[in-house]
Amino acid sequence: MDKETIELLARRAGLAKALAKFPDDVTASAKQAADVAEKIKRPADPRAEPWPPMRAGIGL
Amino acid sequence: MSDLHWMTVGAAARAIATRELSPVDLTKALLDRIERLDPKLNAFIRVDGEAALQAARAAEAEVVSGRLRGPLHGVPVGIKDIIDVAGLPTTCHSKILEDNVAAADAVCVEKLRGAGAIVLGKLSTHEFAIGGPSFDLPWPPARNPWNTDHHPGGSSSGSGSGVAAGLFPMALGTDTGGSVRNPASCCGIVGLKPTYGLVSRRGVFPLSFTLDHIGPMTRTVGDNALMLEAIAGHDPLDPGSAAATRGHYASGLERSVRGLRVGFVRHFHETDTPADPEVTAGLEHVARTLEAEGAELHTIKLPTLGEFGAVNRVILQSEAWSIHAPWLSERPEDYGMLSRRRLMAGAFMSSGDYVLASRRRLEMIAEVEAALREVDVLLCASSMDPACRIDRPADVERTYPRQARTPFNVTGHPALAMMAGLSAGGLPVSVQFVGRYFDEATVFAVARAWERAAGTDKKHPAIV
Repeated sequence: MDKETIELLARRAGLAKALAKFPDDVTASAKQAADVAEKIKRPADPRAEPWPPMRAGIGL
Repeated sequence: MSDLHWMTVGAAARAIATRELSPVDLTKALLDRIERLDPKLNAFIRVDGEAALQAARAAEAEVVSGRLRGPLHGVPVGIKDIIDVAGLPTTCHSKILEDNVAAADAVCVEKLRGAGAIVLGKLSTHEFAIGGPSFDLPWPPARNPWNTDHHPGGSSSGSGSGVAAGLFPMALGTDTGGSVRNPASCCGIVGLKPTYGLVSRRGVFPLSFTLDHIGPMTRTVGDNALMLEAIAGHDPLDPGSAAATRGHYASGLERSVRGLRVGFVRHFHETDTPADPEVTAGLEHVARTLEAEGAELHTIKLPTLGEFGAVNRVILQSEAWSIHAPWLSERPEDYGMLSRRRLMAGAFMSSGDYVLASRRRLEMIAEVEAALREVDVLLCASSMDPACRIDRPADVERTYPRQARTPFNVTGHPALAMMAGLSAGGLPVSVQFVGRYFDEATVFAVARAWERAAGTDKKHPAIV
């Protein structure tokens, strides 16, 4: 993720104050997020469901 | 009675019930020890001594009148400070919630009190159970009683430190990526992450809705089972609460492991995250000991630790972001640096990342379930290293992710960490046992077989 994208996403997420006061922390957070998501295998089956599955609860 | 501080929960409860031990004397002895040792350990954020003594006097009066509230009658307990205790602040070890006084007990605390336990106070944690060990928070981080220059693990750091140091015989911790089992591993005690949904989360500050677990931390396996019996059970007001009934965990502890199939997940510590040789030796010793006790050893393969860790982090940080976004937006300076960095990561994860992790999670659950059809219990590493020094951030950063606990937050299976031995440097090394959903009884039986053979429950730090 480049600097401009990080700043854009941070502002969109409401982190303008953090970006001004703790720019290194914002960059470190963005890097953590980018690194971690890459390590997950994509399920081969497009019908693979997420957990927890939708369950009809008391209100439905 | 000497050495009241090393008494087990079970022994103390029996002695109180037969009037050989006064709960007031026990509570006073522990409060004295806390006063003497806690300045070195920082296990407590707040000691609630007067209320504890008052509860102990009430417990004593009840014993005299022939009334026992339950199996923990008169036994003191420490509570991690992300769990509500009525009338006390739940600070989450953070400036953000310094004045957040709880109106009611969390369900797990209410159940402990119902079983007769006496609340001693609130315990240190990593900030919001994610950012630590940190020195930029309103309270200092807890330290390891085996060597106070080392960290005690986290995030239930005060719980692990205090149980191991004999400040209290039992504590509540929480576990989202391993936070009960890490301090149990670092401090050489017994920590259980129960099956997801077995213990109510109501009244506990959330970190990640689908990964959070509340668990017992004790010095012995038997005490852990007793404590779980007290806190487990369905809660209709916790949307994640399981409908399964609470088990009788303490009654089958001494059963033999002969014929039990133990699946050794070697690749976790051999290839995924190669462990310190002393940890590897400890795990092999546990495996050989169980085999000598009659268990059948099998080798099991699961997804890699790297992928389990990634799934855990994406889900955890996405869910945590949804909780912390308003405060991170308005008050980022009121967080410590570590939690600020970890919690803001959720802002940079996409909905696609979260759904992908959640879909892969279901596949991982199926893979662990398949393994647990082949064997009765899994044996694997917990921490890959003994605890490092607390004052070396680079060492903390390097060793913290070197663990095999997150897989079972992802899948929700019950997992127990305990001492596998001591390193040459005198610090605990650890082992982890993992069971089928709601089969904590088998996990306890295997853990007890190891404890019985190795005498891990008799090993205490030299801190006096």
